[in-house]
Amino acid sequence: MSAVTAMISEDEMKAVGARPVPRDEGARLGFRLTLPAQILVLFISAFPLLMQLYISVTDWSPLSGLGWWNAWSMWNNLANYTDLAADPRFWSALKRTAIVMIVCVPAEFLLGLALATLFADDFPGKRIFYSILLMPMMVVPAVAGYMFFMLFQSGGPVNDILSALTGSPVTIAWLSDPTLALIAVMVADIWQWTPLMFLILLAGLVGVPEDQIKAATLLGANPWQRFVTIVLPKMKTIIIIALAIRVIENFKIFDTLYIMTGGGPGVATETISVYIYKLTTQDLIWGYVAAIALAILIVLSIVAVFAMKRMARAREVPA
Amino acid sequence: MSAIHLQNLVKKFGDFTALKTMDLAIADGEFMALLGPSGCGKSTTMNMIAGMEEPTSGKILFGERDMAGVPMGRRGVGFVFQNYAIFTHMTVRQNLAYGPRMRGTAKAEIDRRVGAIAEMLQLTPLLDRKADRLSVNILQRVAIGRSAIMEPAIFLLDEPLSNVDAAFRAVMRTELKQLQRQFRQTMVYVTHDQLEAMTMADRIAVMDHGVLQQVGTPLEVYNDPANVFVARFIGAPGMNLLKGRPAESDRGLVVDLGPLGITPPLPGELAAALRGARGEVLYGFRPEQATLVQDGQGLAMQVTFVERIGARTIVHLGQGETAVKTVFDNDVGLAIGDTAVVAPAASSVRVFDAASGLAMRAG
Repeated sequence: MSAVTAMISEDEMKAVGARPVPRDEGARLGFRLTLPAQILVLFISAFPLLMQLYISVTDWSPLSGLGWWNAWSMWNNLANYTDLAADPRFWSALKRTAIVMIVCVPAEFLLGLALATLFADDFPGKRIFYSILLMPMMVVPAVAGYMFFMLFQSGGPVNDILSALTGSPVTIAWLSDPTLALIAVMVADIWQWTPLMFLILLAGLVGVPEDQIKAATLLGANPWQRFVTIVLPKMKTIIIIALAIRVIENFKIFDTLYIMTGGGPGVATETISVYIYKLTTQDLIWGYVAAIALAILIVLSIVAVFAMKRMARAREVPA
Repeated sequence: MSAIHLQNLVKKFGDFTALKTMDLAIADGEFMALLGPSGCGKSTTMNMIAGMEEPTSGKILFGERDMAGVPMGRRGVGFVFQNYAIFTHMTVRQNLAYGPRMRGTAKAEIDRRVGAIAEMLQLTPLLDRKADRLSVNILQRVAIGRSAIMEPAIFLLDEPLSNVDAAFRAVMRTELKQLQRQFRQTMVYVTHDQLEAMTMADRIAVMDHGVLQQVGTPLEVYNDPANVFVARFIGAPGMNLLKGRPAESDRGLVVDLGPLGITPPLPGELAAALRGARGEVLYGFRPEQATLVQDGQGLAMQVTFVERIGARTIVHLGQGETAVKTVFDNDVGLAIGDTAVVAPAASSVRVFDAASGLAMRAG
């Protein structure tokens, strides 16, 4: 109904002929008011970005004995970017990151959506389950990493449970097997981040107007039809937001994973973040690191811009 | 088309009884308004007819068919929500086609029916518009069309005009009534606005505190309220009710209103109904049906307030603890502090038993 009342009052405003504030006058005042914040943004965002761009076209490293502002003398004709294109370890890390994302984000989404649907209705003990469900999200990722490191030891609880279920002793070396290690890492990520997905989707789900669902029911739609034709379209914006957040976050997967496997065995669980971390702390080639980070930033920005565009478009249309 | 019978219908929510034993027969093709203040049980009644809520006990029959256990999607009921509940993410066409589409009707058949309904409701030029930026009267038509396309036997409308501003409400009332004439379905209309009920309904069921107070045509309910609640609730302002006792006078049976004196003599049948009654009664008359008279022929009271509402003027009168409202033409020459003597038109006088609140009638 808010759409309707809003429309009427807009018409009324037109009728009264409300005088808008002249555009440039407002803009000037707005600029002055936001100036402090803009300067802050400049320092915490624009400045590091430019610095990164600057270093990424040089061979500069903290060991080079030069201040970073003198890095121009180590200009390397964009060699970092050409190296990047030909770096197999970069591409395999990127591929691994993509695999983790393609498995984890949809899994978190589907689990979160199922849980949200469950929690949209009342059932006994809902509040307790709700609190328990949100807990993984509150755990410090490093702690979660250590927890899963312990769980997946060959003498750990995961194998104990499998032993109890199968009736014969199971001693799988989860974190030393290239494939199983990747699976273990993904399990940890899904465990930790499904609650966030659940929380966001639940907020979206309870925001679906109840009488539209009732109206659909009265028109003969079964629960599945209602879900597909009313609930999902109404949740489109929030689903895009939730997916965008998780895609961006998952792309940067690091702490839990690094504590569980350190990127190993070998490079079997080495994602982009782990690779960058190793290059930064072990190889100390910061110019190259800056180039990789910038490339990733551009990719993620495209995702973010896409999501924001969808959001802006959805916002024009009141629910 | 279908008649609706509510038999001994009861609805309790935990300890709270929303509806106490409701019996109501709504005829085939009738426009019935359920009228009452908030919390009177009118929406609960409607939700049970629609199948959104199960009655605690009692029966709902559509024609001869018992609706117990029939889910809301299968009752053949069209429902227009208070805010219309239009699917805002769809076009008008998709909204209209929703019901048949969910039932797997063939595409060509859906197109034909949408076309026909849109034509009837003058929605054809708007079919491909997104449904989120339509004005209220269009939304109302889409809501009705979306239900009407299912050819429901019964139409239920839940306060569809309550979110509409006053000027537009008159337009939509007319439109709604015309639509009902077109569709000729049984319509049940829930409202707290007596003007809506009066202007549109064939019959009105007045409800209060989960109890059906009176069922009748708008004029019956206005002219012959069954009890004190209906007398006060219907009419703007409601009926004046003055406490007193029946008494004989030389001009016939009157009501002795204590300090206010005695009323003009009661008309024949009322006098017959009251003769012999000993307890306190409430002497009632409509504010619109009183006239100013000479001293000694009516009730003399002080003017306490004058409300000018345009064509008419509401004059508040008082004497001691008694307060009365009367409605006169706007040229009435009364001011605060004046003494006015009013006499109710004899035919409009109604008398209620003060203890039970029920109307006392001849026979």
